[in-house]
Amino acid sequence: MEKKTIGIPRALFYWKEPFFWPAFFENLGFKILLSPESNREIIEKGVKMADSESCFSIKVLYGHILWLEGKVDFIFIPRLKKNESKLEYCPKFFALPDLFSLIVKTPILSPWIDLGKNSLENTLVKFGKKIGKEKKSVKEAVKSAFLKEKEEKLKIKENYFKKIKSPKRKIIIASHPYNLYDEYVNLRAKKKINDLGGEAIFIDEVPISQPLEDLKNISPKFHWEFGQEMLAQIKNAIKIGISGAIEISAFQCGCDAVLKEFVEKEFKQAKIPFLYLLIDEHTAEAGLQTRLEAFFDTLH
Amino acid sequence: MKITFADWGNYTIAFGSLFQKLGFEFIFPEKTNPRVIEEGAKLSPELFCFPLKVNIGNYLPAIKRGADTIVMWENIGGSCRMRYYWVIQEKVLREAGFKVKVLNFNSQNLLSKIREIQKSNQISSWQLLGAVRFFFKEINFIEKLEEKAQYFRPREKERGQADQVLNETLKKLTQTTNLKELSELKKESWQKFSEIKIDGNKEVLKVGIIGEIYTVVDGGVNFDLDKKLGTMGLNVHRKLNLTQHLKGGFPPWNEWLLQRKVNSYLKTTVGGHGRQAIEEMLDYSKKGFDGVIHLLPFGCMPEITVRPILQKISQEKELPFLSISLDEQTAEVGMQTRLEAFVDLMKSKQQLTANS
Repeated sequence: MEKKTIGIPRALFYWKEPFFWPAFFENLGFKILLSPESNREIIEKGVKMADSESCFSIKVLYGHILWLEGKVDFIFIPRLKKNESKLEYCPKFFALPDLFSLIVKTPILSPWIDLGKNSLENTLVKFGKKIGKEKKSVKEAVKSAFLKEKEEKLKIKENYFKKIKSPKRKIIIASHPYNLYDEYVNLRAKKKINDLGGEAIFIDEVPISQPLEDLKNISPKFHWEFGQEMLAQIKNAIKIGISGAIEISAFQCGCDAVLKEFVEKEFKQAKIPFLYLLIDEHTAEAGLQTRLEAFFDTLH
Repeated sequence: MKITFADWGNYTIAFGSLFQKLGFEFIFPEKTNPRVIEEGAKLSPELFCFPLKVNIGNYLPAIKRGADTIVMWENIGGSCRMRYYWVIQEKVLREAGFKVKVLNFNSQNLLSKIREIQKSNQISSWQLLGAVRFFFKEINFIEKLEEKAQYFRPREKERGQADQVLNETLKKLTQTTNLKELSELKKESWQKFSEIKIDGNKEVLKVGIIGEIYTVVDGGVNFDLDKKLGTMGLNVHRKLNLTQHLKGGFPPWNEWLLQRKVNSYLKTTVGGHGRQAIEEMLDYSKKGFDGVIHLLPFGCMPEITVRPILQKISQEKELPFLSISLDEQTAEVGMQTRLEAFVDLMKSKQQLTANS
């Protein structure tokens, strides 16, 4: 029997666990088709199709899913609700499978992920039943996908400790993973910073050593999975001695409108120069270059 | 402690009397108007949702008149940004140099906070119950009044009578302090409404208003949409109001019933009143309405999420649909033009179905 293909959009939720999902489905015996890295064509398609007021990140996701449409047997769009500590994902994630079932004909695979109620393994065993996979093979697939994820994260960690020893000016970039790692979306901000003689560090590379201790003193209590974590990471990052901080937000990101107030406050209190960048489909590379150069002039 | 609260359409009257009956000195917030919106938007974070900016604008004149405490509801049940309103508002006002405190109430701390208030203001449980009862009666009365006005506006023979009765009654309501006066006012206003001469045979189009509760209810924010549509000859209906919102959680199976109704379009909550918008739209379509208007603050997370679904329903059920996002940039004239075009569309659709 020929292997069925599952399409995974290289956007939004993909960047939250970029290694886990492809590895999981490959272990289960599916072929994986990952949409290509964002490009102009994909973004334009997404912007046309998505609601004009939805955030830029959702528009990018529309583009990726439309690229997959017609090329695969299934499209993977999980319904992400809550993480292990019962913190919610952005409410725009909740309805993604419903929204895309309106516009694509390809069947959508959408496990209901509420890790506050069910562990990931149990959720996926249940989900496996629906796609005709046995409990045992699903469990094994989860295990090895976890290992893969761990391995890759370890590499990031090693990289981080190398970076903080660097004599260059260290710049923290605070944002969501789907803005940080999608180079087309953030207009290659990391490369630009490194070219200007800085050392770009992504916020999600910063470890939280004792999660519980670090998260305790954060106020307000965010109900989003990224809020407290990001603020704790910022506190840790400030300790290593950084020269500047940049926050990247997608235009119309509702969560960032709240988060920005506190991220900015954190850096300002530590007297670290702070640059706030809004990105959307109209942002131009030349404009970003100028702003980054000006920002570098303000650093000591 | 001098308290103020966000202005929210005609409900402000009821909130005012509630706080006064609880023994606070209550300073009424400035009614929402273009100037309030402008001032609020100046201070607020640019990308935050619109109601927060309006609230700040409402508070500023009240603070100048001596208010030092702001009461804000923290919506810990919903998934949207409303739960951070109190933190952000306190931060914004403090950074602007105002020494104010924001008292946040939520479903978890409500009882303990009320007990604190009872102690500090020396309010007996009996008085508390009375205040709450009066509050709900007032809310109910305000909603019924608005409904009456929605019915009479398109049908009255002499323009403006319904609004005159509505405004007079609301003015008197601010001076009403006990249940006896309230029931007299009720009788009086129903009498006045019944004296309005109407054209009974007139064919009136029915339009449903759905969307985010704050913008749907507050005439100051939505440029008196009720009145505008009424004078254009439409009977406005809106299901979503404070009573409906409060009833949503009691009894607990309401939540389940709501989900069952929208399940074929949306399988989960998206925060705010996203699911309610879908449910109301389906309901209006079933009842044979001529059109639906969707109101939301620009970039409102739940409403933006469900908007593609609402558009889909509009296509499937052939129900005219207009979505209007409101923020500090929205101009009244632009809205008027869009509404007129939409009314024309509904009229021609009705004629088309009548002819065929």
